[in-house]
Amino acid sequence: MTETEGYVDQAMMGLAEPQPMYKALRESTPVFHSPQSVVLSRLADIETALKHTELFSSNMDAVDLGNVRPLIPLQIDPPEHAKYRRILDPLFTPREMARREPGVTALVNDMIDRFADRGECDFHSEFAVPLPCTVFLQLLGLPLEDLDKFLEWKDGVIRPEGDSGYDRRHETSAPVAQQIYEYFDRAIDDHIASPRDDVLSAMIAANVESEGRPLSREELLDICFLFLIAGLDTVTDSLDCFFVYLARHPDHRHQLADQPDILPTAIEELLRWETPVPGVARVAIQDAEVGGCPISKGERVSPLLGAANTDPAEFPDPEVVDFNRNPNRHRAFGGGPHRCLGSHLARMELRVALREFHRRIPDYEIKPGTQLTYTAALRSVESLPLTFPVASPVSNPDSNPVSKP
Amino acid sequence: MTRVSVDADRCTGHGRCYTLAPDIFDADEVGHSIVRIREVTGELEKHAVTGEQNCPEQAITLSP
Repeated sequence: MTETEGYVDQAMMGLAEPQPMYKALRESTPVFHSPQSVVLSRLADIETALKHTELFSSNMDAVDLGNVRPLIPLQIDPPEHAKYRRILDPLFTPREMARREPGVTALVNDMIDRFADRGECDFHSEFAVPLPCTVFLQLLGLPLEDLDKFLEWKDGVIRPEGDSGYDRRHETSAPVAQQIYEYFDRAIDDHIASPRDDVLSAMIAANVESEGRPLSREELLDICFLFLIAGLDTVTDSLDCFFVYLARHPDHRHQLADQPDILPTAIEELLRWETPVPGVARVAIQDAEVGGCPISKGERVSPLLGAANTDPAEFPDPEVVDFNRNPNRHRAFGGGPHRCLGSHLARMELRVALREFHRRIPDYEIKPGTQLTYTAALRSVESLPLTFPVASPVSNPDSNPVSKP
Repeated sequence: MTRVSVDADRCTGHGRCYTLAPDIFDADEVGHSIVRIREVTGELEKHAVTGEQNCPEQAITLSP
C-alpha cells in the first residue's frame, strides 16, 4: 500500500487530526484514484465537482443509504432540484431560524442543568447527540419521546452494523430505511389531520410553483428521510469536533468565554478547520477531466471539503486557527446547487450551544487518560468525557434550582 | 464610488454577505442575497468588500 492509500484508508476510518492527511494528498496526488472513488483535495478541483452538476451528479449512485427513491433535494440534480429548494429554502433562512433561537436556548440550558453540578459529563452522549435530535423533532413537530428511535435509525443508515464498504451497504441499511419511511408516513397523516406551526405542516401546505400542485406523499417522504440523515448527525459531529478543539486549546476557549461577540466568526473558523463533514459524494455521469486527470463516466468522486478548507491557494496560513479570520470563504457546507440546506439551522444551534455552555462552564478538560475514537465518514467521537469545576456562580437564569431533582 | 451586484444564478444562499455586511446586503424570501444599496462610498465600500470577499460562490461583483 502506498502512503497516499494509507492516508485515504485512515480517512475512511475516522481521523482525530485529518489536516496533515489533506495536505499530503493535495501535495502528492490531488486527484487520487482510490479503490472506492476519485478523491479530490484541491479547492479549485472541488469547486469544479460541486458546481458542474452536468458532469458530477449527486444522484442515488453517489451514495447508498438504503433508500428506495432519490432523497430530495440531495439526490435530484438541477434543473429539477430548484423546484424543491424553492419550497425548502424559505423554511431554513437565517430569519426563520432566529425565530427558533429562544426555544433552543432554553433547551440547551435544560441539558446543561442535568450535569452542571456533577463536575463531569459525557459531552457526546449527554449534549452533542440529544441537542440536534431534539431540535429536529421540535422543528418537524414530532413527539419528543421518539428521540431514541430516531438515534437508532440515523445510525442504522449512516453507520450500518458490519458495514463492509459501498456494495453491501444497501442490504444492511434497507430494513432500517423501511422503518423510516413507515414512521414518516404516519407522521404525515397526523400532520394532515392537525396542521400546526412546524416544518412538516409547511411542506404539506406548500405548492410546487412550476407545476401548480402540492408535494406528493412520496416527495414528502423523500424529503423527511433526507432531513433525518442530514440534520441530526452533522451538528453532533460539529459539536464533538469543536469541543475537543476548545478543550485542548484553552487560549481559544478563553477568547470565546471572554468575548461572546466573536462567536459567529469563531464558529466559521472552527467549521473551516474541523470540517465536521469532511467530504461529500458525487458520481461522474460523463467522461470528464479534473486537474488534468481523466475521470471516467460511472466513477464515484469524493470532493474532500476538509482539504478545500485548508488549501493555501485560498487561505493564507491555513494551519492557523484565527477566530478573526477575514475573509473566510470556507466550504464546510459544500457549495454549488447542493450547498447544505440546513446551514443556518446548524449555525444557530452551534452559536447557542457554544454561547450558553461557555457562559456556564468556561473551563473544562478532556478527562485524563481518555482515548478519543473518531467515527468514519462523519467526524463524531464515540464518547467525550469532560471534567470541569463545580459551583460556578453563573447559573441558568431561566430555571429555579429548588425544583430540580 | 463602487457599484455592488449579486449574480442570482451563482448565489446559493450561504448568507455570508448579509450576515457580515447587513447594511449593504439582505436576504430574499428563500435566503438568497439581494443588494440594498447599489452604489456605495466611504465606510460602506469597506463593508461591500467584506461581503464580496466572503462569498463562497464568488457571486458578488464590485465595479467602479
